[in-house]
Amino acid sequence: MAEMEVKSGGAKKGPGVKKGKKLSTRVDLTPMVDLGFLLITFFIFTTTIAQSTAMNLNMPKDTDKPDEINKVKESGSLTLMLGKSNVIYYYFANDPAKMQTTNYKDLRNLILDKKKSTPADDLFIIIKPDKDATYKNAVDVLDEMTINDIPRYAMVDPTADEYNKIQQTEKASGVQ
Amino acid sequence: MGRAKVKRGSTHVDMTAMCDVAFLLLTFFILTAQFKPSEAVEIAPPSSVSNKHAPQKDAFTVSIDKDNRVFINMTDEIKGDVFDELASERNFKVTPDDKKYFMMAGYVGVPLNQLLQYIRIPSEKAKNVQMPGVPDDSTNNELQAWINAAVTAGQGKKLNFLIKADNATKYPAFGKVIAAFKKNDIYKYNLVTNAEDVPKGTVLYDENLKAQQSGKK
Repeated sequence: MAEMEVKSGGAKKGPGVKKGKKLSTRVDLTPMVDLGFLLITFFIFTTTIAQSTAMNLNMPKDTDKPDEINKVKESGSLTLMLGKSNVIYYYFANDPAKMQTTNYKDLRNLILDKKKSTPADDLFIIIKPDKDATYKNAVDVLDEMTINDIPRYAMVDPTADEYNKIQQTEKASGVQ
Repeated sequence: MGRAKVKRGSTHVDMTAMCDVAFLLLTFFILTAQFKPSEAVEIAPPSSVSNKHAPQKDAFTVSIDKDNRVFINMTDEIKGDVFDELASERNFKVTPDDKKYFMMAGYVGVPLNQLLQYIRIPSEKAKNVQMPGVPDDSTNNELQAWINAAVTAGQGKKLNFLIKADNATKYPAFGKVIAAFKKNDIYKYNLVTNAEDVPKGTVLYDENLKAQQSGKK
């Protein structure tokens, strides 16, 4: 047996003994190639994914002149107030008393309903993130504007009255 | 009659060449890969459907972490100029050494009076230093001064103003940053986000699909 002979390498061989087979020095490189290409694939994928994206945000200039302030048609406006714990308070027209609540999942239907029922030129969505809203909330709503192709929207601070009303509602419904 | 034996070809392929190529490519990709610079502040940006890549050139980034602290970072092309501008505005006496350290420092998250000390901390130790954030209150709005310096230093260039905030950042902190930008008459910003797929069946989804199809034709 070949293996035996390799082990007993020092033994003297007689004339009838078979010659020890020379072991090949060739190494099978297939697994190494596999590994190499695996790593390459890994690096290519990780480098392209890491790039972050950016969304554009244009804010209007602050102005005190009444003729520079944009007027919004009452019938076409929808005000979204972003509150604590991912709750959205909304009201139509200029009627904060009829405030209702919704969440980020149902927001899209709400916007689409409003979009369908209003002439395109009148539609205006006012976004009012309050002091307890997070940055993610604001970005999500802005994103929703892009997704639903709302041409006109604005981001402003809620009035003191509105903020108080949200606070009261939150207290009443026990939102933490 | 002896027939000539047909030589059996070996099925063994020499893998050496392929191995060489694989590892050459591997080395190339590892060396050219731009690793993310170690970030002093961890920020997990929210996701959006925007598919535009964040600009990498002439970028002035304002980051807000989850504790509402504000940090400033700039790309290297404008960093030196902004530092010179700010130093001359505030009558800082700076040495070329100071500038060198500033170029190496990553995020700036300290008030101006601590800036020169902070940038001298070696980067390994700087990670452990708790930075208070750049003040952006109405009484001491240094963020506004930084932006002003960047605008002055970047004249003639198209600066990109990036705002990178965490999911949990409170909206007022973001509002304050916007206010500081507005004071400098800057109204266009890029909000850094993670890419997200457009939900199916929405207006934007249909539009993208249409654009894709017309592009193919």
